[in-house]
Amino acid sequence: MAMAAALRREGRRFASPLISSQPITHVRSSLIPGEHVPLGARSISTQIVRNRMKSVKNIQKITKAMKMVAASKLRLIQTRAENSRGLWQPFTALLGDTPSVDVKKNVIVTISSDKGLCGGINSTAVKVSRAINRLTSGPDKETKYVILGEKAKVQLIRDSKKSITICMTELQRNPLNYTQVSVLADDILKNVEYDALRIVFNKFQSVVSFIPTMATVLSPEVVERETESEGKLGDLDSYEIEGGETKGEILQNLSEFQFSCVLFNAVMENACSEQGARMSAMDSSSRNAGDMLDRLTLTYNRTRQASITTELTEIISGAAALES
Amino acid sequence: MASNAAAPFWRAAGMTYITYSNICANLVRNCLKEPYKTEALSREKVHFAVTKFVDGNPQKPIVRSDSGTA
Repeated sequence: MAMAAALRREGRRFASPLISSQPITHVRSSLIPGEHVPLGARSISTQIVRNRMKSVKNIQKITKAMKMVAASKLRLIQTRAENSRGLWQPFTALLGDTPSVDVKKNVIVTISSDKGLCGGINSTAVKVSRAINRLTSGPDKETKYVILGEKAKVQLIRDSKKSITICMTELQRNPLNYTQVSVLADDILKNVEYDALRIVFNKFQSVVSFIPTMATVLSPEVVERETESEGKLGDLDSYEIEGGETKGEILQNLSEFQFSCVLFNAVMENACSEQGARMSAMDSSSRNAGDMLDRLTLTYNRTRQASITTELTEIISGAAALES
Repeated sequence: MASNAAAPFWRAAGMTYITYSNICANLVRNCLKEPYKTEALSREKVHFAVTKFVDGNPQKPIVRSDSGTA
């Protein structure tokens, strides 16, 4: 994104003199005559501060625009995300959500965004995934990652390169829809061997709060094992099965469909959280830009005033010297 | 039983339930009348890129686009 690149570049330019320990003194120190001012110039140059003010103003405009964009996208996606919660709730009622289930092959599906500048949601998702990885790992156990989105890939590739199996990006090229997510879920199911899929995403709570969440989808074999041996899913047998399919077939269909539904909801919630986080991040950064602008304006005016005073003193004292 | 024979035919073809249900959903969408039909079909666009990792190294990304039921 060109805007992001511009922001980053500008940010770096400021970072050295301004956002260090003593912001104001540094600005002032760059205004001391003789440091940047060409030799022989009489008054203090305010050029540098003026340029900086201009670029801070531009950044503020960009962040404000990004905030507006995020806000309108959030409105669109929020209702859809909230409606999609109805997809997984029946499954949880039927099959339960058993995060504590102990299986050999765990697959962690980390959901993140493709674009940055959206606060800490991607880092939270990665952190939670790593924690789950540590929790589920053990002797003769295997944990693999499936990553959705560019940002988690960048973070996870650093330390757990070996356990990544698939990475999927560019999800949000078109507006998110169920067909897309189900094709994606299908791709994951075909390429990964699993006993339990653990989907990590940020659940949208409100515009400012996102809860890192894990949803567990068990493989049909594990569901069957859990129902039979008085495990965690004891009451599944009390349901009557219609039609001629065996229990194994039904469970396989169910768990596949459950995965695509849960994944759809997770992707929607995460996209919603992303926009919310971006909105609040951009809000605070435009506020910061405003603060910085205030400080710079103060410095600028003070310096200008000082140079005017100096000139006046020089004129008056020169006149006084001539008179006497 | 009819359903007993019917259930495995798509699974025998190497499909998962998700693919099967997508094909069915697409058929239903095609049954809509005209203004709604194009709307419903254009809503369900598929686009994403898949990168497989072999021994910790990313392979070339494969872009999957459209054709909802692949």
